[in-house]
Amino acid sequence: MAGPLDGLKVLEIAEAVAGPYAAMALGDAGAEVTKIESLDGDRSRDWGSHKRGDHGAVFAGLNRNKRSVTLDPSKPESKDAVRRLAKDADVIICDAGWDKKIGLTFEDVQAINPRAVYLSISEWGDKGPWANQPPYGELAAQLASEATLSLGNIGEKPVREGTDIGSMYAGVYGIQAINAALYARERTGKGQRIDVSLFGCLMALRSTLWVALSNPDYWWGFHLDSYIKPPDHGYKAKDGKRIFMSLARMTPEEREQLHTALGGLDFLEGEPRKQMFLEDRGGGGTRYGYLITDLWEKLFSNMDSEPLIELLRKLGGWAFPLNDYQTLFNSDQVEAVGMLTKTEYPGLGERPTMQPPWEFADTPASIRLPPPALGAHTKEVLAGVGL
Amino acid sequence: MYEGTCFMTAGPLDGIRVFDMTIFMVGPWASMQLGALGADVVHIEQPDIDWATLGAGVPPTINGTSIGYIAWNMNKRAFSLDMKLEEYRRRAYELLKTCDVFLVNMRPGVAERLGVGYEDVQKINPRIIYCTVTGWGTTGPMADLPGADGQVQYVTGFGSATGERDGAPELYRHLTQMDGTTGNYAAQAITMALVARERTGQGQRIDLSMLRAGTALQSGRIAEYFASGKVAERLGASGAAAAPDTAFFCEDKAWLGVSATSQSEWVALCDAIGKPELKDDARFKTNPDRVDNRDALEEILAARFAERPTDHWLFYLRRAGVPCGYTMRWDVLRNHRQVLENNYLVDVETGGWGEVTTGGPAWHFSDTPQRWFGTPFPGQHDAEVLGELEAARASQPESVKQGS
Repeated sequence: MAGPLDGLKVLEIAEAVAGPYAAMALGDAGAEVTKIESLDGDRSRDWGSHKRGDHGAVFAGLNRNKRSVTLDPSKPESKDAVRRLAKDADVIICDAGWDKKIGLTFEDVQAINPRAVYLSISEWGDKGPWANQPPYGELAAQLASEATLSLGNIGEKPVREGTDIGSMYAGVYGIQAINAALYARERTGKGQRIDVSLFGCLMALRSTLWVALSNPDYWWGFHLDSYIKPPDHGYKAKDGKRIFMSLARMTPEEREQLHTALGGLDFLEGEPRKQMFLEDRGGGGTRYGYLITDLWEKLFSNMDSEPLIELLRKLGGWAFPLNDYQTLFNSDQVEAVGMLTKTEYPGLGERPTMQPPWEFADTPASIRLPPPALGAHTKEVLAGVGL
Repeated sequence: MYEGTCFMTAGPLDGIRVFDMTIFMVGPWASMQLGALGADVVHIEQPDIDWATLGAGVPPTINGTSIGYIAWNMNKRAFSLDMKLEEYRRRAYELLKTCDVFLVNMRPGVAERLGVGYEDVQKINPRIIYCTVTGWGTTGPMADLPGADGQVQYVTGFGSATGERDGAPELYRHLTQMDGTTGNYAAQAITMALVARERTGQGQRIDLSMLRAGTALQSGRIAEYFASGKVAERLGASGAAAAPDTAFFCEDKAWLGVSATSQSEWVALCDAIGKPELKDDARFKTNPDRVDNRDALEEILAARFAERPTDHWLFYLRRAGVPCGYTMRWDVLRNHRQVLENNYLVDVETGGWGEVTTGGPAWHFSDTPQRWFGTPFPGQHDAEVLGELEAARASQPESVKQGS
């Protein structure tokens, strides 16, 4: 089998991040994915500034293992084509808004293919005053769900998360739910509709905070969220590279050895925050830690990040490099677990790409098709359904 | 208790049983999703465990127990086993015979030492789906290092891609999200393997690491890195891929997030804010143009948004179909109509800590109902599970009983 979902047919009527990512993951797991695009194509074909040919790298990163079919939603024959494709599909992924535009609501699908599992992705949910909005407002969903104003320092300009986590979560939760529904279909013989939203998924990922706010024995203002605390930037070593460290498990003797190995604590003479430093165990998750980052960095100014990480680990601490993508993908660990392969980027030749994240021992996931050019498979796919 | 429709009736994974040997957050989070989907998750803890040590003691506590344990172990039954003792191990094997999924997130080698490595479990039950979750993978120089949310945000480059423009990389904007993400990838892999088992009749082993889940979550930005060779730029509120896609300070001194990430949304935005001339500006013709001239574009728009309050812009942008939104305080969000009507927050009764509020199921199913129920205390279902094992034993033919 070419993956756990080998042979299943997926119809993607979605764009940007959430739907395309969900469909790509199903494709990685072996499903055969047909992506329907308007004549202008998925909006993400235009994203980024390194566009080559008819798409850029973001699109490439979210659309492998698919065939692309272009349709003009304003033409009646497009609606007919979509229905023929839907008749044959096991899974349909549809952005809120596109269902009506292309004439393929859940009710339409039920009438022609009651076994299909139908995932609808929206911005805010399928109920409520903001129901069934298209899922393209990543920043809006992040802002709304950040209940603690923790996107940035309070009152200052917000800082968004480094990647489109709301959209990606909607894809991730969508995949779980689709597979659960496919499993249920083996028993009931019926597909069903599933709804996920960017906002709802971000809210779910905040569950720990919500429980913490419920009825705690005490409220210490910070642990599971930076609601009163500035963000953490790690600690700079001699070479200017940043590290994460926590000394929570160090014994007092080990702590002493650390100070000595790094040249002693003379720099604390006359320092009013000396006691705060001595009681701090690093990690960025402590209440006062951020007030003495500069003192730690003075201590670390004698050693480069790599030997420093080694020293901290040897003495019972936790230490990790703060990687950027370059240091991450050149690391020994990435090499050792074999998470990269090569793929063709349009106009750029072969470049590295990430393998699917899950390792299935018996039904391995695979990369079988490159990201498709716009409409590259229209003729072939439509011929397959008699058009 | 969450009193949604059809509470506690069967979900899509009805009939699936999970042997949940998980600790801290990432593993428990995965099995909690499977429980929400209808599986019978049997969460294992040591007999007579000190409640103060649960959930690694992550603060704050409720009645002395970490809110971590309470938040990460909903939708489960709790069963006591000390895997180091022979008597309990036999019980574990009996339970494993009735399970469909085995889930563990201890460091590589621990399950093997406890007699529940893949080979052991596979021998007992060849149909079982055996899923391991580790920090950094099962091989390589980092295999034995601890991995939790904060470290994973650092190591996977997530922190490097987040930060103020020209500022330092950062994390803890959203603590626990890499644990949750990896747990969700584990749950999705398990559901995929269940679908495969319907056809092959066989279980299999799945390995998942926080390293791989954490990077998969950044697929788009990492693809840009591989294409350009340039590491992710920190852009504050702005998205890297499209423009305008950022936050604007409005007249009422509040921030409004505005994302026009398609050509039609861009055109709609220009008209909605009374700046139609921008559509014809050569610097802003296409999205790649707007990304290249992001600073100039954001400056023009910022001046315009500062002229009116948030509500003014919400009114016109929503009518025009331009995605937009704003930050809500937690007490506002707690009772927001959009949250309540979608059950994005639910109140559930727990087995020792009263009623708590938590995130509800992130999905809605049209036929199989939603469910979400509160955390059991350790060992809460000991008698119940033992009774089931006894009943299973009694119903076995004599030959099987002697063989085992």
